[in-house]
Formats: sequence, structure tokens, C-alpha cells
Amino acid sequence: MTSATSSSVQSRAALESFWKQAAVRRNISAYLFILPFMILFAVFNVGPFFWALWLSLLRGDLVQPVKPFVGLQNYFSLTTDNITLTVFKNSVQYTVSVVPIAVITALALAFLIGNKLVRFKDFYRSVVFFPLLASAAATAQIWSYILAPRYGVMTYLLSFVGVPEIYWLSDPNFALYGILLVEWWRGIGFHIILFLAAMLGVPEELHEAARIDGANALQVAVRVTIPLMRPVILFSVVMGTIWAFQLFDTVFVLTNGGPVHSTATIVWYIYNHAFRYGQVGMAAAMGVVLLLIIMPISFVQMRVLGER
Amino acid sequence: MAQSIFNRKTQKFIRVLPQAVVVYVLLAALVITMLGPYLYIFSSSFKETYTLISIPPRLFPEQFVWDNYTYILRELPFSLWFFNTILVAVLVTVGTVFIDALAAYAFAKKEFWARDFLFGLMLATIMIPGALLLIPAFLITNELGLLNSYGGLIIPALANVLGVFLLRQFMQTIPEELEHAARIDGCSDFGVFWRIILPLSAPALATLSIVVFTSQWNNLVWPLVVLNDKDLYTLPLGLALLRSEFQVNYGITSAAAFLSVVPLIIVFIFLQRYFLEGLTVGAVKG
Repeated sequence: MTSATSSSVQSRAALESFWKQAAVRRNISAYLFILPFMILFAVFNVGPFFWALWLSLLRGDLVQPVKPFVGLQNYFSLTTDNITLTVFKNSVQYTVSVVPIAVITALALAFLIGNKLVRFKDFYRSVVFFPLLASAAATAQIWSYILAPRYGVMTYLLSFVGVPEIYWLSDPNFALYGILLVEWWRGIGFHIILFLAAMLGVPEELHEAARIDGANALQVAVRVTIPLMRPVILFSVVMGTIWAFQLFDTVFVLTNGGPVHSTATIVWYIYNHAFRYGQVGMAAAMGVVLLLIIMPISFVQMRVLGER
Repeated sequence: MAQSIFNRKTQKFIRVLPQAVVVYVLLAALVITMLGPYLYIFSSSFKETYTLISIPPRLFPEQFVWDNYTYILRELPFSLWFFNTILVAVLVTVGTVFIDALAAYAFAKKEFWARDFLFGLMLATIMIPGALLLIPAFLITNELGLLNSYGGLIIPALANVLGVFLLRQFMQTIPEELEHAARIDGCSDFGVFWRIILPLSAPALATLSIVVFTSQWNNLVWPLVVLNDKDLYTLPLGLALLRSEFQVNYGITSAAAFLSVVPLIIVFIFLQRYFLEGLTVGAVKG
């Protein structure tokens, strides 16, 4: 009896160890599958992240082998430096302008394309996708010609409505809005396409019901359609904000931060201080500040993505 | 009878007509705003210098010339930039999709120690702005001796967290039974991945390919910090250079900008669906 039990225990143990070994074998193969990714991920994502935090506590240029440790001094300098304050002001001003403008115009345009009278909606969807195809550099080239003073098309068109010549990219008072205009054109398709998908997903019966209750088209839009699109609108606002705070390419090609720093953004500051002015510590500190701005916004982004 | 139906239809038509006119006028304005700039530089790329700066601006070239194209192709290393961009974008796309698919398969279908921790870590890095990683990534690339080379453009771009995220989600929907059946038939782990999982994931692989290819084609910052040699430049970097060197020669910049977009436009026309699907995935990359 006892021997029988012990043998069954033994065989069970043997069986368990067999499965465990099998599991470990499978494990090893799992690690082999993730290995190439994980090596690259560690070397070019995780490693650089911690290195960047460390760099923000140092002073020196890129190639200097030993960079002296200065503690939090870079962060303190960020709060006193004139250029930094301009850069923050520009980035915030740009973000709070471009995001509402883009989201509201995109919503209006999505309603336009979503209108029941419009046929071939796919065609318009493709049309608004086109600006998303070009690189920021190509878009900048296109618009530098359109926004050019004197012989630019924009100057010509605005002259019909009595607007005097505007130096879109060389007047410090307008340059940020010149950039905004270009970026609006470049990014609007993203918002329109998302909104359109959400809008066409709203069940027709809800519209009918509101209509029967005597609501007009505007009331249906504001009271029924838009509230149902809220998660998508939130996603759009979050993505728009994240992009706006990271604006660089267009500024780099069109104005390179000028005139007189009127289009200098956070990322422009990071690039120039690290790769032009030999102040890696300041650049890294600014990068950490950017992270602190982006992080809370990203949490919202991940929650929205998680719900899908 | 027929008369009254006709009347009702006519009445309805007359009722919606003003609204339809407004809607289609606005749509026309939208189409012009979105496509006009492309068409304008396309037309301008054939203009002569004096037409380019005529006041008021001219929509079409007065005399149709190829000079701008011959200039960028003969006097500038434009064809080299074109070749570099294709090479880098294709290699990064193939490499990323393969490496991401391998990892995504393990995360979707296997259990292993620290799996959820690693996946959480990957997701957490999504929120790190690229500009923060730029400096140390540059220093590491320098340490690896990859500055100013194709390798320096390609290798750091190969691990794409969002790609793993996208592919894992898709692979989770593939039924276990298919895998079991393949194993019973004697398929190895890699065999299951290569013969079962990859072919079944084709739509997700296509979407990811489009996202990676487009973002590589248009990438400016990384080539900007990694490259010195003008012969290694990619198109966005070349265009940025043209902007500073040919500031007001809009014929040349228009021709170059237009040529740089054409390949993506062609791909878009054929694979629109994947572009639209990739919109939210690519979006998250920021």
C-alpha cells in the first residue's frame, strides 16, 4: 500500500518535472524569439533613457570624454535663461493655438464630408490624407513658396479680401502662425479621418429619434453626435498636444527658430544645445522637462488605446 | 400616378438643392486646399525663373521647361539621395517587421518569466519623447562606430515598440488549434512561427510595413544628427539642405519636393487601406 503510494508520488513527481522541463524548453525558445528585439530595445531605448537622465546632471559638449557633474544646476539655469523662457512661451502658445483650431476645424470638416448629401465619401477621405504623405521637409518647401512675400500665392489671395502683405515667415509677430498654418495643413487629415470614422459609426436610429423629437441638424450634432464621439475627440486632442509640444521638423526647415527666436520650440532648443552649441547638459535637462510635460498627457493616450 | 411621384421627387430635389450647393462648394474648397499646394509646386517645377517670381503669381508655366529637373538630377546628388532613402526605408521596414513579429509571437502565444514586466516596460517607453533619447542614442551610435553610415541610419531604428504592440494584438486572435495541429505534424517552434503565424498575420504585417516605411521615408531628425557626408543624405535631409542653399530658387525646391513625394503617392494609391489602418498606429509614435 505504502509502496504503491510512494511509487505513484514518484511517478507524479517525474511527470511534473517532465512538464516543467518542457515548460522551460518552451521558455528558452520564447527568450530566443524576443532576444533580437530586446537587445535593440535595451541599447537604443532603455539605455539612452537613463543615460539622458544622467546627462542632465552634467556639463560639457557632445564629444568631451569627461563631463563634470553639476547636480541640478542645469535645471536651475533653465528657469533663469532668457532663451528657455522664450522657448517655453512659444511651445505653449503654439500648442494652445494649434490644437483647438485643428480639432474644431476637423470636426466641422468631418460633418461636411459626413453629410447625407455627400456621395463618394471615400474620395474625400483620400483627399484629406494626401498632406499626411509628404515629409515635413517637403511640406516646408511647398509652403515656403506659397507663403513667400510679394510673389507668394497667399499674399495674392489675401489681397482680394484687403489683407495687406504679411511676412509669414520673417516677421517675428507672425512667424509662429506661419508655422501653425503649415502644420495645420499637414496634420488636419489625421483628425478628420478619425472623426469621420467615429461619426459614421453612430447608429442612424439615434439621429432619427432626435429628429422626431423636433431637433434641428445643429442640435442633433451638438446633443447626439458629438457626445457619442467624445473618446475619439479626446484621443485627437491628446495626440495633437503631444505632437505640438514636439514640433521641430517644420521649424528647422522653414525658419530655424527665427526670426529672433520667435519660432524656437522645446525640441529646437534641445537639438541646438546638444548638436550646435555644445551644451549637452542643458539639452538633456530640457528633454527631461519635455518628458514631464508629455508623461501625464501620454497616460490619457494609453488609457484610450487600452480601451480599444 | 407617375406624375405625382415625379412631382414629389422634384419637390425633394428643390428642397435640398440650396443645401447641396453649399455643401459641394465647401467640399470643392476643401479639395483645393488639400491638393492645391501639391498641384501648384508640380506646375511650378516646370516654370522658368522669371515666371516663378512674377507678380501676380502665375498658376501655370509660361514656357514649359525641364531645367529644374535636369539641374537637381545633374548638378546635385539628388538621385543618390533618392537611392539612399529607398535603401534605408526598405531595409528598416523588412528588419523591423521581422524583429517585431518574432517578439510579438512570444508575447502573444508563450508564457515565460518576466513576460508581463517586459511588456509593461515596453509600453512605458512609448511616452518618452524622441528628443530626449536623441542625444544618448547619438552617443551610443558613435561608440558603435556607426556614425555617418547606412548602419547608423538603419540599426537604431529596428526595434519598434508599437509594432510589437500592434502585431501581438493581432496574433492573439489566431486560434491555438492551428498551432497545435502544426506541432503534431512535427513543426518546430520557428516552423510554427514561419509557416502558420506569419502568413496569418499578413494584414497586420502590411499595416506595420506601411507605417514604418512612411515614417522612415520622411524621417529628418535622425539622419540630420547621424550623417555628415552629403552623398549619404536621405531625401528629407537633402530637401532641408536645398532650403538653406537655394532659398529663393523655388523651381529647384519645387521639383525636388515633388519628386520626393511621388513614390509615397504611388504606394498610397495602391495600398490606401493599410495607410488608413496605420493612421492610429503611426500616430502613437509621435
